[in-house]
Amino acid sequence: MGDALMQALQQTAGSPEVWLIILFSAVYGVFVGAIPGLTATMAVALFVPTTYWLDPIPALAAIVTMVACAIFAGDIPTTLLRIPGTPASAAYVDDAYTFTRQGQPERALGTALVCSVLGGLFGAVVLMILGHQLARVAALFSVSEYFWLYLLGLSSAVVVSRGSTGRALLALIIGLLLATVGLSEVHTQARFTFGRPELFEGINFIPAMIGLFGMSEVLRNLIGYQTTGSEPETPQAEKSGMRRSWLYRVFIQPVVEVIRPAWRLFARRKGHGLRSGSIGALIGMLPGAGADIGAWVSLAASKRYSKTPEQYGRGSLEGLADATTANNAALAGGWIPALVFGIPGDSVTAIVIGVLLMKNVNPGPEIFQKQAVLVYSIYLSFILANLVLIPVGLAAIRAGRYVVRIPQRILLPIILLFCVLGAYAMKGSYFDVGIMLGMGLLGFLLERRDVPLGPVVLGIILGGPLEARFIQAVTGSGGTLLAFFDRPMAAALGTLTIFLWVSTGIRGLMKKE
Amino acid sequence: MPADQNGTKTGTVRSPLKHLSRTFLILISGFLLLGCSGQEEYPNRPINLICPWSAGGGSDRVARQLGAQLERELGVPVNVINATGGAGVTGHTRGALARPDGYTITLVTAELNMLHWRGLTNITYRDFRPIMQVNRDDAALFVRSDAPWETLQELEDAIKSKPGELRASGTAFGGIWHVALAGWLLESDLKPADVIWISINGSAPSLQELMAGGVEVVSCSIPEAQSLLDAGRIKCLAVMAGQRSPRLPDVPTLQEVGIDWTARTWRGLAAPKNLPDDRFRILLSAVENVVSSREYQTFLQQAGFGYAALPPAEFEEALQQEDARYGRIFRSAAFQSVRSQRYGPMLFPTVLLVLLGITLSLLLLTGNLGIPESAQKLTAAGLGKVGIAVGAVILYILLSGRIGYMPTMALILAGLFWMLKVRWFVALSVIVVLVPLTYQLFAVYLRVPLPWGWIGW
Repeated sequence: MGDALMQALQQTAGSPEVWLIILFSAVYGVFVGAIPGLTATMAVALFVPTTYWLDPIPALAAIVTMVACAIFAGDIPTTLLRIPGTPASAAYVDDAYTFTRQGQPERALGTALVCSVLGGLFGAVVLMILGHQLARVAALFSVSEYFWLYLLGLSSAVVVSRGSTGRALLALIIGLLLATVGLSEVHTQARFTFGRPELFEGINFIPAMIGLFGMSEVLRNLIGYQTTGSEPETPQAEKSGMRRSWLYRVFIQPVVEVIRPAWRLFARRKGHGLRSGSIGALIGMLPGAGADIGAWVSLAASKRYSKTPEQYGRGSLEGLADATTANNAALAGGWIPALVFGIPGDSVTAIVIGVLLMKNVNPGPEIFQKQAVLVYSIYLSFILANLVLIPVGLAAIRAGRYVVRIPQRILLPIILLFCVLGAYAMKGSYFDVGIMLGMGLLGFLLERRDVPLGPVVLGIILGGPLEARFIQAVTGSGGTLLAFFDRPMAAALGTLTIFLWVSTGIRGLMKKE
Repeated sequence: MPADQNGTKTGTVRSPLKHLSRTFLILISGFLLLGCSGQEEYPNRPINLICPWSAGGGSDRVARQLGAQLERELGVPVNVINATGGAGVTGHTRGALARPDGYTITLVTAELNMLHWRGLTNITYRDFRPIMQVNRDDAALFVRSDAPWETLQELEDAIKSKPGELRASGTAFGGIWHVALAGWLLESDLKPADVIWISINGSAPSLQELMAGGVEVVSCSIPEAQSLLDAGRIKCLAVMAGQRSPRLPDVPTLQEVGIDWTARTWRGLAAPKNLPDDRFRILLSAVENVVSSREYQTFLQQAGFGYAALPPAEFEEALQQEDARYGRIFRSAAFQSVRSQRYGPMLFPTVLLVLLGITLSLLLLTGNLGIPESAQKLTAAGLGKVGIAVGAVILYILLSGRIGYMPTMALILAGLFWMLKVRWFVALSVIVVLVPLTYQLFAVYLRVPLPWGWIGW
């Protein structure tokens, strides 16, 4: 092991070529991730033809870096424009956007950056040490375990929402119902399509997410917009005081202003960080789960143990910190089932398997023996990627504050343009633009009644898989519901989910009295 | 960009125009001046290659490889669009109904011959003009390595002795691997219902389920199972092909054990049916060059895909034969009986609707769903603005396909800026900078197929 690790170190950290590629990929990843509608998968898929000319290690390092950076970059439009860049950011949209409304987007983004980096590092280290053993756990997950996992994720979304549980539940059910539109994958039968071929694909969550959050925010701002005048004051963080040299302003000031407070927040609550990282890493390694469920579950756990649970959804830095830690810790985990069994955990690792095969590397358990150097290089790349993310992310945050200074009357039409573009970009489909618009109106109406939007998004994402897993499990068991409890892991996850609901119910009752 | 002859005489109206109407006129005359003329050489703008499956999957990989090489052959960008969803319905439908101008081609897959038999679409292979079949992978049957069956005969006996006991998967209900398994069962005098098909979307999660013990048999293509085979976690009992696979020389084919059944998945390129001959020939020769290239063949080999290169006539014939074969399976009474499932598609929505009813009535009864005091007041002016914003998006949907991304977006932005009373030179400069910039970014660098329309590059 030591030998392979040293060699891997030499071939990654010791190679200027790899550093150069990582730097380039980081900029590219941040850029693509920050554009609403373009996902980390898209970034990687566009890059694949280039990998033919690269050696395996630089190629994989590039993919690792762009994904790690794209997931963080998703937080940038989430915070600034309230358009989640990736589904993993949808968990904490309202928390992050509150800071922009208060004119302090850098506080939210700084926290997101620091926690993303730490979460990413944590995930890489855990999997470097435990990866091979954890893979066995993943192999035990059958459909009934997945059913509970999805239900746990959905329940978390209800529990973490601000305001009443009832309204969050309503939001979740609306999301789940929207997910039933289109072709039911498990039955291969069309539902609620009214004979329109466009509706077969169902409601894609990317345009839905852009509509629910971004478009509805545009509409909300237009309702209250006063043409005559008063621009909402954007409090200028600029303190007068003495002018420092440009060197100080470029290199030192961002660290002092953005990184230091976030780091202090993290250092004050290390235990919470550890918990969030572990949740992310564990959920991330299950094929078909991933960063988004990781973020929600971690947020729910965070709220449970928080001293100020009422702040969640209204600008809680703690929640933001825990969720961003988890979704980045989940990334490295996704590579485990891909490397060990050749089973991709998500669409990015599916591409990775393709790249591996193309380089004559066959995924499989023996990859840890035969290709130990390569495997360690992948995890070292995660570490390097997260280190490079710090300066690149900081630069992006600094650039982002100019967005906040644009007057609202100019910014609103531009956000609308990006909503349309983002919805269209995914598949080049006008129907998706229509979905975005419809969801924008829905989001606008729901928000007026104080119904949270996060659960709607997660419902749309997980509705299909949840139903599929349910049907698969009962079909396999010949129709009894026992299937959901007769395996130890399923029973444990099921109990956890039920416990979550019971305890939320009891808390709700106690609060009333 | 050549100037349009018709568009030179505009924009002479002057006078007490409000600043924004002037902006409009300047913009519109600008667009007319820049508008492209009709006659063109094929191809002179980006070609869209529709892939009905998601980014990262096998089909997507093949599509992107073909796209990258076609780009060099044709000298224009070839953008892969993942028109996913609906088990392949979306992509195939979009590809078949696209304008037959040679700027949209589709990576059609084996599902093309199945979707219409399942009543999911009216699109058949006859709606396409086949260009070439570019890949083919045979189906095979896999079980866990610790399973008690060593040969196919033993598995058959186990099914015969305990019908309805064993579970299998590989894809969703009625998908290619389900038909493969059903065909094998029918040919060996068993009923498709003797094995319970668990509808799992995709071979990778099916293999995961095989290892977790949720199913006993998986039917899928050989490359999909290669890593687990190499790892010794699963074993292959039979290959559903005419001859043994070079990857698994020790595994017999179904025909060797006396069962006349083969099944495979394939991928091919096709254009909409009415593509004119001259453009078809240009495309065909480019595709021929790509498929016969060493680069493409090495790609297939290294990615684990099987090679195929069927020219148009043979491809069409293969499509026709396969379509008829699948028709027989899908219409057979035995398969029909499998298709009606116990837990129908309306179960889940019904449960949800009931839950929705309960939650809504509870919320209404407790008065928890009112509009809170803090909510903004709805004013006529505010609603008007919302209406204009909504109209702007609708305008994009209606107009951009015809006149293109840039004119539409400029129009929309101008309208919104006017509504928000932005000074005209600010509005104009934002539009002039932002619209071409986003076009360059999305359409050129990120390969998003933004509508071309009057101007585009």
